[in-house]
Amino acid sequence: MRGVTPTARTPARQRIAVPTSDALLAGIPAAWLFVFFVAPLAFTVFFSFGHSTFGGIAPGFTFDNYRAALSGFYAQSFLRTLRFAFAGSALCLLAAFPTAYFIARHAGRWRAAALALVLVPYFTSFLIRVMSWQILLARGSAVETLLNFLHLHSGPLDVLDTQTAVFIGIVYAYLPIAIVPLYVVLARIPATLVEASRDLGASPWQTFLFLTLPLARPGVATAALLTAVPMLGELVVPTLLGGDKGVLIGRAISSQYIESQNYALGSAMAVLVMIAVGVVVALLARLTRGFMEVAP
Amino acid sequence: MSRTRLAFRQPAGIGFGAWYLLAVAFLFAPIATSVIYSFNVGSLGKQTSLFTGWTLHWYAMAWRDLTLRRAVETSVVASFWSALLATLLGSALGFTMVRHPVRRVRSLLSGLTYLLLIVPETVTGVSLLLFYAVTRVPLSLATLIAGITPLAIAVTALIVRAGVLTLDRRYEEASADLGANRWQTLRFVILPHLAPAVGAGALMAYVFSFDNLVVSTFLTTPRVNTLPVYLFGSLQYGPAPTVYAAAAAIMFFTLALIGLAALLYRLAARRDLQARYQ
Amino acid sequence: MTRSMSRQKSRHFSRRSVLGLLGAGIAGTALAGLPRRAAAAGGQLNIYSWPDYFSTDDLAAYTAKSGVTPAITTYNANEILFAKLNSPAGAGFDIVVPSSGWISQLAGKNLLQPLDHSRIDFGALDPSLLNRDYDPGNKYSIPKDWGVLGVVYDPDAVGGEIKTWQDFFDAGAKPGASGKIRLTKAPSETVGPALWISGKDWNKATVADIQGTRDFLTGFAKHVKTFSSFDPQALASGAIVLAQANQAAARGALLQNPKLKWVVPGPKSEIWVDSYAIPSSAQNLDQAYDFLNFFLSADIQVKETEYLGYPAAIAGLKGKLSADTKLPDMIFGGSGVDFNALTSYIVNPDTVAAYQDVQNAVQAAAGG
Repeated sequence: MRGVTPTARTPARQRIAVPTSDALLAGIPAAWLFVFFVAPLAFTVFFSFGHSTFGGIAPGFTFDNYRAALSGFYAQSFLRTLRFAFAGSALCLLAAFPTAYFIARHAGRWRAAALALVLVPYFTSFLIRVMSWQILLARGSAVETLLNFLHLHSGPLDVLDTQTAVFIGIVYAYLPIAIVPLYVVLARIPATLVEASRDLGASPWQTFLFLTLPLARPGVATAALLTAVPMLGELVVPTLLGGDKGVLIGRAISSQYIESQNYALGSAMAVLVMIAVGVVVALLARLTRGFMEVAP
Repeated sequence: MSRTRLAFRQPAGIGFGAWYLLAVAFLFAPIATSVIYSFNVGSLGKQTSLFTGWTLHWYAMAWRDLTLRRAVETSVVASFWSALLATLLGSALGFTMVRHPVRRVRSLLSGLTYLLLIVPETVTGVSLLLFYAVTRVPLSLATLIAGITPLAIAVTALIVRAGVLTLDRRYEEASADLGANRWQTLRFVILPHLAPAVGAGALMAYVFSFDNLVVSTFLTTPRVNTLPVYLFGSLQYGPAPTVYAAAAAIMFFTLALIGLAALLYRLAARRDLQARYQ
Repeated sequence: MTRSMSRQKSRHFSRRSVLGLLGAGIAGTALAGLPRRAAAAGGQLNIYSWPDYFSTDDLAAYTAKSGVTPAITTYNANEILFAKLNSPAGAGFDIVVPSSGWISQLAGKNLLQPLDHSRIDFGALDPSLLNRDYDPGNKYSIPKDWGVLGVVYDPDAVGGEIKTWQDFFDAGAKPGASGKIRLTKAPSETVGPALWISGKDWNKATVADIQGTRDFLTGFAKHVKTFSSFDPQALASGAIVLAQANQAAARGALLQNPKLKWVVPGPKSEIWVDSYAIPSSAQNLDQAYDFLNFFLSADIQVKETEYLGYPAAIAGLKGKLSADTKLPDMIFGGSGVDFNALTSYIVNPDTVAAYQDVQNAVQAAAGG
């Protein structure tokens, strides 16, 4: 069938001809995800209303689990996690943007190699890298020696098992996932546009603020999403680098499922988290809707 | 090319370059550490943060440790298949999230993708375990792959989506006007533009799948164990440097493979260019 | 760009062919990596255990002798073991290695099968480790190795000796130790000492008793630096000066810093025994018993002890260790340990959630 690409001006009521290609491209992934993700998830919702038995669920209908999940301790835990994810994501983006900018706009011929260099570390197991941070941040490590040598710090390094260490680990873990979408978007801004802006008299800073940054919005939004949302469920880094203190919501839910064998309460907590985060993400998506398409 | 040199001469270029190098140093610091410490003698057969001496013993041990080797094999195989599926399905999803004509469908697809990111992995893991229990599907490598694919799909989809958002619709319209059907437009106009995004998405999908810990923990079987599951368990009683040795070996092997592929690709590209201009 | 692609003729060495070759090569390797049918002569044996819990040499010796290569899969928490065995996904394991606390739960849900004592040689085992409260008569389990919960500390930083759990809590609040403490993340090992100082029994404690320790423990938590797995180096460097630990981990710290002291505090402390057990759904029973008998023999047990650092369960082990073993007493929990004052934790579904809640509160309240 002839491909039809309706423009944005197509009235909503009008019957839209959906090309088979698009239907397939949408349908197949959706079907896969439905079977292997949505259907099992329905179990979770179902369990959240049940009664917990040790390591199982007795079906039933009760809101007890939700009441417990909304209790002070878990609500605090969730808020703490939100702050944590927000801060972590912001730090990550701050670190990633200049890096992606360099690769996209200043690396020239070496662009692919520059990007590859940033991604190479990710071919080592993540856990090994976090465990290596434990070694690096411990007392008496090379980092301590270096910092003392550079007079940036004096005395023993006591960063391990602190919040600082967790943020270092988190930024480390999510840096490439933030760099990639930023790079993808920044690379597609034609050099001619930047040149035109400079030719018209804008300073580099103005060009950046009023041309580059707006055009990079989809990348920034994607990077923010890809970092902030998974950070909400982060388990490993706070455990290994943070001394396992300050129970974040991912850990709290996990402990209900695993240590307490309370699937019902864990499910209720998970459903609440999903709703809360879903609302925030939907709001953000709505706010940035008009600004997302930035084809130059 | 002259523009690149110009960019470097500007202070901004140097500043960004310095930041980039700092970022690379930051990213490589633990890699270097893990490689160095894979040679660490350690204490009482366990890894410590104190470097006590050089030895190759752990590399030999890693080779002889069948449990570790099998876990590594399984991780590599499962991540490959998961990355393949995620690239195909994720790219399709990322594309239609933006370009599907019906707005409701686009919202639904976006919602589905975000949901994948939002759900805590423990929840996915337990629900999959119970799902397979209820549907009486025996656990296997296939169910492991199916279990770790969704997150990888989400990652690929979002990266490809970022790429699609920078696509100019007019190329597609022009292509349609010139008589191409949708498949041809996809293949010859859209895909080449999306190649970097798809490539990056594929790479990220592989990495995410390889490092998957939580969902994998629930889906291991007597014959299917992954490296992250093994590693996380070793933290209980303290890891031996063996696992560092294994990780270093995998990394060098993977890099060598990629390096070889990149080299071959460049050689072939040069050949193509030469052929075209002869 | 599109024109050149559509006109590209296939050549021997074009970009497309390189990509195709690469893809085929990777796919081939991946396919080759798919599970092979077990063609071993002696059959199969599937073990579910902690990682690196058997010495590579001993496993190789076992394979050489029996022709069976055990397939070992790993878990990182007893609860995962429980969840797996409790679901159809747990089918297919022949030997599992639960900690003592979980044996009655696993057995209670019919996830373990009673051991056939006639097929196992108990001769070499230490009688004091058999027939304990967590598995009377060793109906379901055989001890593999054991550990005790104690405290390793720097007497200078802490300002004195520690003899009881009360001393431990008092020492932690002192300025020399505050902010440099490690607690375990096992709820029983956090709440247990608090129960013991008020004379209670952790297996008989009610939910109210357990919740009663919450305020005391969250108050103490602000002095705690970490709940991470024990790092001997942290104690050696002084980042941590007071830590709960098992004796094998503490041994590592003492070796690196001889100034440190170890004690199993009174009035009570914990002994845990990681044990072999056979799940109800095990298929390869012959191989399982064969494996057990091999690993329970005295020489192998000595080698395992030297490999793991945890004492295996055979009688007279101390005398059998090689002469150059460092700090051999520490393997057994130090000298002068009163084994009658040691108790094993037994998981009780009614109190598990209460223990975990207190643990979560403590971890959330921890300082630094």
